[in-house]
Amino acid sequence: MLSPKRIKFRKQQKGRTRGIASRGNRIAFGDYGLQALEPGWITNRQIEAARVAMTRFLKRGGKIWIRIFPDKPVTRKPAETRMGKGKGNLEGWVAVVRPGRVMFELEGIPHDQALVAMRLASAKLPVKTRFLSRAAGGLS
Amino acid sequence: MLTPTLKAETRDRVGKGGAHSLRRQGLVPAIVYGRALDPQPVAVKSTELERLLTSISWENTLIDLQIDHGAPAKALIREVQFHPFKPEVLHVDFMQIRAGEKVEVEVPVRIVGAAPGVKAGGVLELALHSVRLRCDPARIPEAVEVDVSALEIGDSLHVSDLRVTDAEVLTEETTTIAVVVPPTVQKVEEVVAAPAEEVEPEVVGRGKKEEEAAEAGEEEEEEEEEEE
Repeated sequence: MLSPKRIKFRKQQKGRTRGIASRGNRIAFGDYGLQALEPGWITNRQIEAARVAMTRFLKRGGKIWIRIFPDKPVTRKPAETRMGKGKGNLEGWVAVVRPGRVMFELEGIPHDQALVAMRLASAKLPVKTRFLSRAAGGLS
Repeated sequence: MLTPTLKAETRDRVGKGGAHSLRRQGLVPAIVYGRALDPQPVAVKSTELERLLTSISWENTLIDLQIDHGAPAKALIREVQFHPFKPEVLHVDFMQIRAGEKVEVEVPVRIVGAAPGVKAGGVLELALHSVRLRCDPARIPEAVEVDVSALEIGDSLHVSDLRVTDAEVLTEETTTIAVVVPPTVQKVEEVVAAPAEEVEPEVVGRGKKEEEAAEAGEEEEEEEEEEE
């Protein structure tokens, strides 16, 4: 699963996800893309689940690009713990996604297969998505 | 091929407010510029524009731009700004061209033939989707054809392999256009054994010392409290 190799600080504040993706909102590598339509946190497990769903469907054709990286640590306090006594323990990693972000790209497969693969991947993600294709430009 | 026509109207209001009000009326703000021509703000109907953009390869197709029912002038669509996630066009740049003056255009790459490497199980990756050419506006090619019928697994084609007539290729010669890569072998997935504990990443630099110091400090404080 994806996670950073080296970090500067072990814990981060939650922050707020404001605005839309001003970068990474166009297909850059493949022919098809899966774009987020809502803001959200995508965990590294969800990214992996989406990737596996696509890979299984495609069997051995096509190429997948993952264009998000979970670089934000998420902490959680143990169950039945009183508040206070410092910030919780590191529980996982998330990628912060804003509306417009192209999260996955595909190449080397027909349009109808790409649509199904992206739909399977989308089912593993906590945000609404839309399918993009290079042929349709920004109007797909 | 028949040159597509697009009608435009001049607009007075420029800037954010003017653009917003145009978009509310179903128009798209645009600008027309060219050599020996002052930039002219115009507006086009969004429905007509979207129909045009989906029917042609707009980066390398000349269009007839008719401003205020005047005589149509040849123009190239230079830039289209799309909404980051809605299927909407926000703004368009038109560049009027003059006959005989060469233009630089992005021309899409089209794959021709079947690579034997793909039949052998490889995957054909198109690394470059368009090539930049300098050519006469009347002779802009629809696409640059790339013949992959000689590519085995591991072979690649570069811009230097292109044979383009009537145009100068501006993209760097060493850039890879297409490559046939070996298939990624899907690992036989083990029955999901207890998920391996995630290795905590190494904390680098200043942060580590500070955190250690902070943690040490907290522990000392707690001890002091307990003693009290």
